[in-house]
Amino acid sequence: MMFLRTRIEAIGDAVLGFFRAAVELWRLYIATIAGVARGFSRRRDRRGRPRGEVARQLYSIGNRSLVFIIVTLGFIGMVMTYQACLQLGRVTGDYSQVGSQFLRLIISDFGPTLTAMMLATRVGAGIAAEIGSMKVTEQIDALRMSGVLPIDYLIVPRFLACLIMTLVLAILGSVIMYAAGGLTAQYSFGVNPNSFYDLSFIRPRHVVVFVVKALAYGAAIPIVAGFCGLRARGSSEGVGWATTAAVIGGSFAVILLDFIISASALWLTGGDL
Amino acid sequence: MIGNVGAGAIRVAQEVGGIVVLTGQVLRALVPPRIDGRELLKNLHKMGNRSVPIVVLTAFFAGALMMLQAGPFVKKFGATSLAGWGAGYAVLREIGPILIALMFSGRVGANNTAELSTMTVTEQLDGLRALAIDPIRFLVVPRVIAMVVMLVVLTVIGDLVALLGASIVGRTMLEIDWSTMYYSFADNLKPYDFLHGVYKSIAFGVAIAMSSCYFGVTVRGGAVGVGRAVNAAVVAAAVSIMLLDFFLTYLTG
Repeated sequence: MMFLRTRIEAIGDAVLGFFRAAVELWRLYIATIAGVARGFSRRRDRRGRPRGEVARQLYSIGNRSLVFIIVTLGFIGMVMTYQACLQLGRVTGDYSQVGSQFLRLIISDFGPTLTAMMLATRVGAGIAAEIGSMKVTEQIDALRMSGVLPIDYLIVPRFLACLIMTLVLAILGSVIMYAAGGLTAQYSFGVNPNSFYDLSFIRPRHVVVFVVKALAYGAAIPIVAGFCGLRARGSSEGVGWATTAAVIGGSFAVILLDFIISASALWLTGGDL
Repeated sequence: MIGNVGAGAIRVAQEVGGIVVLTGQVLRALVPPRIDGRELLKNLHKMGNRSVPIVVLTAFFAGALMMLQAGPFVKKFGATSLAGWGAGYAVLREIGPILIALMFSGRVGANNTAELSTMTVTEQLDGLRALAIDPIRFLVVPRVIAMVVMLVVLTVIGDLVALLGASIVGRTMLEIDWSTMYYSFADNLKPYDFLHGVYKSIAFGVAIAMSSCYFGVTVRGGAVGVGRAVNAAVVAAAVSIMLLDFFLTYLTG
């Protein structure tokens, strides 16, 4: 009986913790949006982001993830085409549809989602590690003491940069994935490149889904990571925990958003996405 | 510019070399197999049991997503019996093992790096050495074994949950009967599809374990260093998962 009770308490604790974290995340999100608005409206008196900070974040989030995104998405594009061709070869042996259907899947799902999963790992962990170490060395308190809003100073530039760069890298990643898949299909299965690189199945709604997903992930990753970083406590161990939590939280947020957006897109289009 | 590329290449080579050397040391420590049983059990529990919720959630949504992506084909061609084929095949062979490995790397690999690197920067590893305890044998080997074993087990669990997630979405959003879905899975998926994902997860487990332990024991410099080590470990794990996936798929079909 005692055992059951502690179990139930543990579950209740976890659920409560989850809801509290969700509320705090939502608050941070609102504060960040407010910070973005402040940054645009009061150009002279910004108690927040230093000049050129967004550009610096664009560089560190975007340019420095370039090789990582190219390598990971290139290889996964090859694997997916390989598996699809292998399976089709067993069943029908007709490869003419592979390219166009692969492109449809990339645009409406794999391109933005896998890019964002990778960014949640690289960028999310980076943001959490940086902000977390500032938190435990009391630099955030120092900022607050000198009248600077930590959210405007730290989170807003990363939020804006990540929003832009996730979209850019998702486009790049999708192109790489498609090209790598095309090469695999051509050299391993002898698929005609003209039939593989076939854009005729793409409709505007696929592109809309692509953009919506990329922007949603781009907004979620820095907020989750910043939240985890700001919650860091203790010393080096706390930073480690914060970074771990950022990777898990960011990846899971991507999967959850993917499900929500895909399901609503399917529902809105009546199953004819 | 060229100097930058060269410096990056040298850094990557150093890291790969370090990971290979650490793998050699771990293999050396496994002969003869003297493993600290209590440390191994503790790690198995911490890495396995406590990752079940996140793996189950991830796998559920992964299966659901694959079914959502198969949805338009099903609606267009009315081929309900093939829905399980597409979704199941993608989940068992690729999406399931990869997503579970990525989540495992974030949950367990990163956590392990954080723990080991905190021990390293607080000089606990030197303390162990001073007591004539080999930190590799005592700390690294049990973690590596626990991660490999648990990733395989979690992949098996996750595959089943993913198929369940796919069936639930198929029932609620695409109106495919449970029995149709069951036969669609049973007729089209072969045991080899399942095994293909499972043995890939062994390789992913080794990659995650080695990179997370390597960055944990080579960390330098306080709290900043710990954050950087965790970041580097998850990035290295993600790249090696993708590369291993490609080569294993290519070599074994």
